[in-house]
Amino acid sequence: MELTDLEYKALEDIVGSENISREPAILETYNQVWGNKLVFGQKWSPRPAAVLLPGSTEEVQAIVKACNRFGIQFKPFSSGFEITAIGLVSDKAIMLDLKRMDRILEVDVKNMRAVVEPYVSVHRFQVELAKYGLYYGAIAAGPSAGVIASACCHAGSGQTNVFAGAIERNVLGAEWVLPTGDVLKLGTAASGDGWFSADGPGLSLRGVLRGHCGANGGHGVITKVSVKLYPWYGPAELERAGEIPAYRAVKQVPDEYKVFVISFPTQDNGFDALAEIGKAEIAISDYQIPLPPGGNLGEGNDEMWESMKNLDEEARKMFATMVIVIIGSKSKRELEYREKYLLKIIEKFGGSLPPPLNAPMVQSGLFDASMFSFGSVRHVFRLTSDFFINPCADASEGLIKNLHRAAKEAMGPYWNNGTILQVGSAIFHPVYENYTVGAHHEDMYMYDPYDPDSLEGTKELVSKTIDPNGKFRRLGVPCLGGGLQFEPATHIHQTWGPLYDNYDVWQRKIKAALDPNNTADWGCYVPPEYP
Amino acid sequence: MSLETYKHDMLRCTRCSYCKWIPFENFRNSDFVKGCPSVARYNWHAYSAGGKFNIALSFLEGRIPYSDTFLDAVYKCQMDGSCDVSCKSVQDIEPLQLMQELRIKCVEDGQVIPAHSSVIEGLQKTDNMMQKSRNDRGKWAKGLNVKDLTKEQAEVYFHAGCKYSFDEGLWNTARDMLTMLIDASVDVGIMGDAEMCCGGRAYELGYKDELIKYASRHEKTLKKAGVKTIVTPCAHGYQTMKVLYDKIGKKLEPEVLHITEYIDRLIKEGKIKPKKKVPLTVTYHDPCHLGRLAEPWIHWNGKETKVLGQLIVHDPPKKFRRGANGVYGIPRDILKSIPELKLVEMYRIRAAAWCCGSGGGVKEAYPDFAIWTATERINEAKTVGAEAIVSACPWCTQNFRDAIKETGEKLKVFDVMELVQESI
Repeated sequence: MELTDLEYKALEDIVGSENISREPAILETYNQVWGNKLVFGQKWSPRPAAVLLPGSTEEVQAIVKACNRFGIQFKPFSSGFEITAIGLVSDKAIMLDLKRMDRILEVDVKNMRAVVEPYVSVHRFQVELAKYGLYYGAIAAGPSAGVIASACCHAGSGQTNVFAGAIERNVLGAEWVLPTGDVLKLGTAASGDGWFSADGPGLSLRGVLRGHCGANGGHGVITKVSVKLYPWYGPAELERAGEIPAYRAVKQVPDEYKVFVISFPTQDNGFDALAEIGKAEIAISDYQIPLPPGGNLGEGNDEMWESMKNLDEEARKMFATMVIVIIGSKSKRELEYREKYLLKIIEKFGGSLPPPLNAPMVQSGLFDASMFSFGSVRHVFRLTSDFFINPCADASEGLIKNLHRAAKEAMGPYWNNGTILQVGSAIFHPVYENYTVGAHHEDMYMYDPYDPDSLEGTKELVSKTIDPNGKFRRLGVPCLGGGLQFEPATHIHQTWGPLYDNYDVWQRKIKAALDPNNTADWGCYVPPEYP
Repeated sequence: MSLETYKHDMLRCTRCSYCKWIPFENFRNSDFVKGCPSVARYNWHAYSAGGKFNIALSFLEGRIPYSDTFLDAVYKCQMDGSCDVSCKSVQDIEPLQLMQELRIKCVEDGQVIPAHSSVIEGLQKTDNMMQKSRNDRGKWAKGLNVKDLTKEQAEVYFHAGCKYSFDEGLWNTARDMLTMLIDASVDVGIMGDAEMCCGGRAYELGYKDELIKYASRHEKTLKKAGVKTIVTPCAHGYQTMKVLYDKIGKKLEPEVLHITEYIDRLIKEGKIKPKKKVPLTVTYHDPCHLGRLAEPWIHWNGKETKVLGQLIVHDPPKKFRRGANGVYGIPRDILKSIPELKLVEMYRIRAAAWCCGSGGGVKEAYPDFAIWTATERINEAKTVGAEAIVSACPWCTQNFRDAIKETGEKLKVFDVMELVQESI
């Protein structure tokens, strides 16, 4: 539904005519994203009535208040790289493209924290932090993801969580424009004592802020966030060699770090080793992601296939059970200790360090892929055009093993019949943050949405994995936040809530309390009313 | 080729937004990480390459008509190829070719903008992009003792290009370059008033037929002149003759070299010796048309197929142009050969370079955007401590000079060849 001239003018007065548009040529670029074909049956999700480019918290606040006044829904986003970012429910909704809010506002080196705006991407942040010997943490969505999006709004995980904590647990404060237009600051930021604790003194609403999957814009706009930082042991600027795209990687792994690519006799051995390495608290990165050989450094699919096709069974097995571990320290002695400890764990579980997997060029590529998530788009999109994740869970190591087996059982027939490309189940890392989070697990499958067989097979598989009465019931609520959570299509909360303590009832109460006029688009959060 | 050819790619653009940045592997300074001037300046997604994929698909499917906004997004773009390099660092799709076909489609449908129409009308009348008289084309070389290829033959054809031929402020540079070749005993000639535009800038604007016309005319003329090597100081002309003519199936028989490539050979052969000291701290700006866009064209004729169920591959295997094989090292080698000249690098270099702002018809139609883009680059040059920014393309150097004039900056601007000349 189009905005009336009065409504449009009111919004235009807030951001200026150059920062608002309702031109079809502009709007049609805010409704096309990967995954749409699977959920909406076409490349397009609903077209917004207008898109705005606010430049400040005050402008966001004024826009939200205007939306309340006129009964317009809004949805904010930063990079916009997901259905969860740009899928709309209402046909009278606007989008807030937060591109103009792109400042790194503060880096508090002494207290190891920083404050950023929504359009600060993770890698731009990392590059700035390295100058101060600091590090934020990789998000598997890749270097273009927003710091705020990953910390506050979406479900996601990363390859260095064993070291840098689960991403959502690094929030030390937030400035939050609620769906009413009120501005809320969390924790110490609210009491004016600096942005160092989201739990107070002052309001602590960290759980409400994001829960597990994130509200994906469903309960307002996070305009600033303070995040916890970790040490970066390497140089202020990494030297990278080669020309993009094929061989552009760190010239050599910095002396303060070491990369190990380990092959285990069985996948279970790999899982057990992952857990033990995590518990030992020696790793920066500790994960398993069976890649197609050459997947990280290969120039394109053709080059990758060329390197894969003649691999024998032994070599394929080696890649399928591959575990990647990075250790690091400023102290040479500590680094030696960690290496010694790691080698003992490898030995304990019968692992080996195959020389081809530990060649310097491979290690350089994996260092970049692990520390900065370079190559994530290559892995999940270039291969077949699209991907889906389910199940996706943070759980204990025992459950992870079961989940992995069950997922293999579910997916097996589909990769055997060629509907999906299976490059392997990915355990990104055991996250032993205070031994409370456990490991993160994703089962990823790649499909081609423009191949009818692949699309239909994938739909069938998705239906099975999100069926509350099916085999996956015992594995918990499907967490699609980092993938394709779109409530009007998947009805996850509606169908799974009653099986899990009616959690959805509480979630809907939170939504109602924060958003009495139902102004924030709920498509990737929770419906105010069930259909 | 047609717009429809790229529908596969339109469908498969994921909206990852890599096209907005330089490749992440190239990030060095958090203030200088944007790659696409268009989306950096205008912010809307439509101005990025990803947005062009979206616009093109919606247009083909009849969801949106042509409009002023549509054309604004299409033409406020330097076609500099930064998006192409970043996108193809992770994908097997072709954003720049899609954008080229989108412009061609606009022109075919009469959806053009007045500033471009005027330039093309001028080109059709006078064979140059500067809207100047054909009879003045050879003035820049007046008085030089050089072969006239319309009357005699020579091994090397020095193609000055439209910019050097008609921009009086650049004539001395062009004359010095030619003199360098003559002094090095190169058997070189020029076409004088008979020199004509390469057609590359017209093609970039979407006028495909102009490229075909000038490719055919060059093929004929150069054959008659017995030319074995074409040397040009115009990066755009170089890219056109080397890459675009090949792309449209009209590859020239003579070898096509940029002046930096040819002078580099002469330096290595000892025929040119930079001896005098030039105590200056400079930074080198990679022209898009000498760098990432100059990668040789790769012809491929095959089909997409699948292995392992859904892995998309090609039969025969397809090699993508990803920007790695442009001319990057040679201009730097030349600068390094100049005594006491210090080369400092900016943060966005080689295939990841930020555009000067002049290409794609932007200078002609949106001069303020061209200046804005150049100013961004000038700021980057200043940040790394350069006293001068050096390029190897007249469109770049002129746009930097315009920006400096407008902003009152103190940075000096040189062509690589000017510094070589100073040193010999």
